Amino acid sequence: MTTDWALRVSSLGKIHGSADLRALEDTGPDIGTAKSAITGSIVAAWDVGFEVSPGEALGVIGESGSGKSTVMRCIAGDQPSTSGEVHLRTVDDGRTNVLELDPSARRRLRISDLAVVYQDPAEGLRLNVTAGGNIAEALTAAGWRHFGRIRDRAAELLERTEVPHSRMDDLVGTFSGGMRQRVQLAKALANEPPVLLLDEPTTGLDASVAAGVLDLIRNLLEETGVAAVVVSHDFAVIEMLTTRCVVMNHGRIVEAGLTDRLLEDPHHPYSQRLVGAARA
Amino acid sequence: MTFADNILSVRGLSKDFVLHTIDGRRVEALRGVDLDILPGEHVALAGSSGAGKSSLLKCIYRTYEPSAGSVVLRLRSGSRIDLTLLSDQEMSYLRGRDIGYVSQFLRAEPRRGPLDIVARAGVSRGMDRNTARDAAAVSLKRLNIDEKLWDVHASVLSGGEKQRINLAAGTISSPQLLLLDEPVSALDPANREAALDLIGDLATQGVAVLAVFHDVEAMERLASRIVLMRDGRVESSGEPSSMLEILTQGARR
Repeated sequence: MTTDWALRVSSLGKIHGSADLRALEDTGPDIGTAKSAITGSIVAAWDVGFEVSPGEALGVIGESGSGKSTVMRCIAGDQPSTSGEVHLRTVDDGRTNVLELDPSARRRLRISDLAVVYQDPAEGLRLNVTAGGNIAEALTAAGWRHFGRIRDRAAELLERTEVPHSRMDDLVGTFSGGMRQRVQLAKALANEPPVLLLDEPTTGLDASVAAGVLDLIRNLLEETGVAAVVVSHDFAVIEMLTTRCVVMNHGRIVEAGLTDRLLEDPHHPYSQRLVGAARA
Repeated sequence: MTFADNILSVRGLSKDFVLHTIDGRRVEALRGVDLDILPGEHVALAGSSGAGKSSLLKCIYRTYEPSAGSVVLRLRSGSRIDLTLLSDQEMSYLRGRDIGYVSQFLRAEPRRGPLDIVARAGVSRGMDRNTARDAAAVSLKRLNIDEKLWDVHASVLSGGEKQRINLAAGTISSPQLLLLDEPVSALDPANREAALDLIGDLATQGVAVLAVFHDVEAMERLASRIVLMRDGRVESSGEPSSMLEILTQGARR
């Protein structure tokens, strides 16, 4: 029975404004707000921790403003965190807290150790560059030099994410929302990262398009064996993609468990309200 | 028969739901259930709705988190383990391998065909792709799923077809213990027959089965023992012949 982790997050915290820790006393689920009256700062996330194994997908669920995207951005390095540790198995065999790396070393992790798929494709892609060109950027960053091989690999990745070959040399800005997400997935997987973060990957897409992208993500997760973190406010997405999840409310994890257990037997008052609303 | 022979030993299993959305109301679903199952034994749970039959299955599978008690399962490796003490990751690993659960219908219906769904269930339990595909084909054929539908998205199939796909996926590899919750409720007589036949074969393969059926006939045909539940407790248990008499009398009253 293996429970070896690919990603380990512990005591992760992010406070906007004064780092005065008295803000922790009057914020959180029990108080019902993330904004401290004492210090005026906002505790976007605090004491967040979880592990994800290879081939496993962990969900992070909560309403807008619960802190789930903050957690993802702190792990990804898009935002500095206030406290905590993030370890990747591929970095120094998990001994290094990557939050302490210098900015350029941190950015290098995004080449092949850790990939992100954003809700807004404009964050993960350059819209004024072709689909093939976007993927080529990821490959050249990882040291690919041979033009022919780069093109072959880009074509292979786009085929895998079901982007028609005929669109490879079109600017991503001319693509539909669903197609942009497919290109973003192809780029994220270009260098076979062991850890993949997905932030609301189907939010904002038409229902039928979202279902297609969701199917694709599920297939990719199963086939690549990547360790995934799926951030979503949508239980249907969490149920389809993940086996375990954590529920966030006002910046804190209020409950963690097997996904089916959280849906059928939620314990925390907030989880019960959230599931009740989703089932209604 | 000794305690060590059991595939499953449930002791004092209780489940309270605390409904925070209704002033913290407490609902007791299980109130101290004891139950043993031997390898190859097929135990059918009987009782009126609300007696705790599905709750018992879900507490064993940890879809519900038990409030008290133990659920000791003998693994394929021979070691015995209390499922209530496992981490979520450990439980997730055992699911499908040592312990299976088949609900009434497919959940989170994927846009995939029956053959793909059933074969992937096999792969996720450690079978290699070709073996899983062959086993899936055999099982779908046996359950009378028309070969023309094998690559049609399951979401557009009928309730009865989905139920059989779910059963095929849940039985593709033989777990130590299989939990069945109304696995044939939506099937017409001919398909029901094929499904019951497949379930019956599990016992001969040594799989311990704990099942809920809505009809007495399925219990009569498959069960080696019937356990009658009432108000979250085991009321009585025994040979199908004697228990069925009690059940049908209860129905007549």
